[in-house]
Amino acid sequence: MDVLFQIIASGLTLGAVYAISTVGLALVFGAMSMLNMSHGALMALGGYMAWFTLTGLGLPPALGVLVAVGVCAAVGALIYLLIARPMLGAEGFETRIFIATIGFGAVMESAILMAFGPQPKPQPLAVQGGIGLGGVHLPVQNLLILGLSMALMLALGLFLQKSRIGMAIRATAQNRDAARLMGVRIGGVYALVLAISGGLAAISGITVSSLSSLLPNMGGDPMLKAFIICVVAGLGRVPGSVVAALFIGLFEAAVQYTIGVRFSFALLLLLVIVVLIWKPQGVFGRHQGVRL
Amino acid sequence: MTAMRRDLLLCGLFAAAALAWPMVSGLRYSVTQTTFFFIWATVVVQWNLVFGISGIFSLAQVALFAIGAYVTAMLGYYLGTSMLLAMPAGAVVAVIASIALGLACLRLYGPYVALLTLCVSQVLYVLIVNDTDCFTHPPAGCMPLMGGVRGFSRFGDLGFRDWLGSGFYIGNYYVGLALLTAAILFSILIIHSPMGLAFRALRDNPVYAAARGVDRFRYQLWIFGLSAFFTGLAGAFYAVNTGVVGPVVFSFPHLLFLLSMIVVGGVGTVWGPVIGAVVLMVADELMRELGDFRDIGMGLILVGCVVLMPKGLSGLFQSLSARLAGPAASAAEKAK
Repeated sequence: MDVLFQIIASGLTLGAVYAISTVGLALVFGAMSMLNMSHGALMALGGYMAWFTLTGLGLPPALGVLVAVGVCAAVGALIYLLIARPMLGAEGFETRIFIATIGFGAVMESAILMAFGPQPKPQPLAVQGGIGLGGVHLPVQNLLILGLSMALMLALGLFLQKSRIGMAIRATAQNRDAARLMGVRIGGVYALVLAISGGLAAISGITVSSLSSLLPNMGGDPMLKAFIICVVAGLGRVPGSVVAALFIGLFEAAVQYTIGVRFSFALLLLLVIVVLIWKPQGVFGRHQGVRL
Repeated sequence: MTAMRRDLLLCGLFAAAALAWPMVSGLRYSVTQTTFFFIWATVVVQWNLVFGISGIFSLAQVALFAIGAYVTAMLGYYLGTSMLLAMPAGAVVAVIASIALGLACLRLYGPYVALLTLCVSQVLYVLIVNDTDCFTHPPAGCMPLMGGVRGFSRFGDLGFRDWLGSGFYIGNYYVGLALLTAAILFSILIIHSPMGLAFRALRDNPVYAAARGVDRFRYQLWIFGLSAFFTGLAGAFYAVNTGVVGPVVFSFPHLLFLLSMIVVGGVGTVWGPVIGAVVLMVADELMRELGDFRDIGMGLILVGCVVLMPKGLSGLFQSLSARLAGPAASAAEKAK
């Protein structure tokens, strides 16, 4: 019974970490059908910025996180200005932006490697200690991540539902041309969406590195998993991807406890393939009629 | 002259020039680097069939290459199979893997296919690297089934060492040249075959093509399987040529390097990937001195090409030659 609780506890933490990344990716794909392959590098950048501001500059933690989020959001907007905008609406946008962001991510990762070196660094934002609940050990860090993630998701959901800008983002995602006719400045929405996604990547990078450690290529694996979750949920489905993230986190924790850490990614992939054969649009995805 | 004749002629000229290269260049380094160029060009020419011609955004080509390499190395290492047998075996296994993968992911579209294929190669990488259980115990210690982090070495070669002595690399060079020439010929034949025509029809007017009985899924599966043969063979030859196969062949930077070749050269043309392979090999060579900046340079080349010239270098040549031919053609019109 204790094992079950332990699995649920660590599974929910994993899921919460994934959810932060996944929502950022889903938001960008929903608004502009763009798969941002430099998300992993943005996560690493966020983690390293937090390390740099706290250890290097000695700023208080809250300010450090703010700087990290700000820098990554700025880089996200930069991706829009330099890479996405010149090819918007051109033939094969989805393929080209995919390849271009792979290249941009590689550049960023190498730059981080050169600036901070290849040795793993500890994330200073980690909180020590834990709570014993019956036979289950719950690290404070994990509870913090879970709470933070849920608060962020709630705030993002409210922002998308209630604010005018959130409405513009949803309108763009639903129908780009109609939104433009209603006076939505599409370019601004795209830049904003990428900036939000960048900021979320920073927080995600900080949480991921607080559970393990900082490495220049630390974002690669979580990014692929976040994409897998996006695909399971249906690309671009924001609320669905949160549910899917928690589910995948639980699945991964269960596999790690029962079969072994080594196979968790492979089994995850197998699950995705089964889901995609069963529902090619994802579990929460709507079937979109393609007009030829 | 039809387009196919022109391409075949170019292929012949290329092969003839490459035949003479080891005699012209006395440097061993340039010959071995050209051998690597043959291998990478073979992979991207086949990848181009999948990505450019049939429009499947698959990133699995590098994994298929690695499967070819690993099967060859493992057959040689565990069973002592002759490389002449192990290489085709590696290619056949790559074809089987490709068809299985195609059945799983060809019902999806665009970015879903890219993600799924990327994940498959990443999972293979993780499974190999994290495998620490000993399968056999060679004198050097412990050997996991798939070679683990260190990979395989000393699994055999094509016998050029006994035959040519220290000049064995020239033998490998000609095998590589034969491989690339066969791969280009295969690509030309596919592009100008009814299958190529079917893909062009599907691209130009999907509804009409479907109404005339052109089954996209079937043709895509065919090309997925066919292109895997030379990709796997290139992997097998890579294993034989370098004598070492490690998980690095699955790695992401490797994929990035090959993807850049296609993008820089031009997606969907016969010669674009070959040009791209030349350009990136040269760029890689020039940036060797730069150390850490090399990876940044590679990434910047890729981003710059995708953003600034979506049709790659071959598209640039085409529009340039069209512009040069433009005034001449209109002058000829006036003279009439």
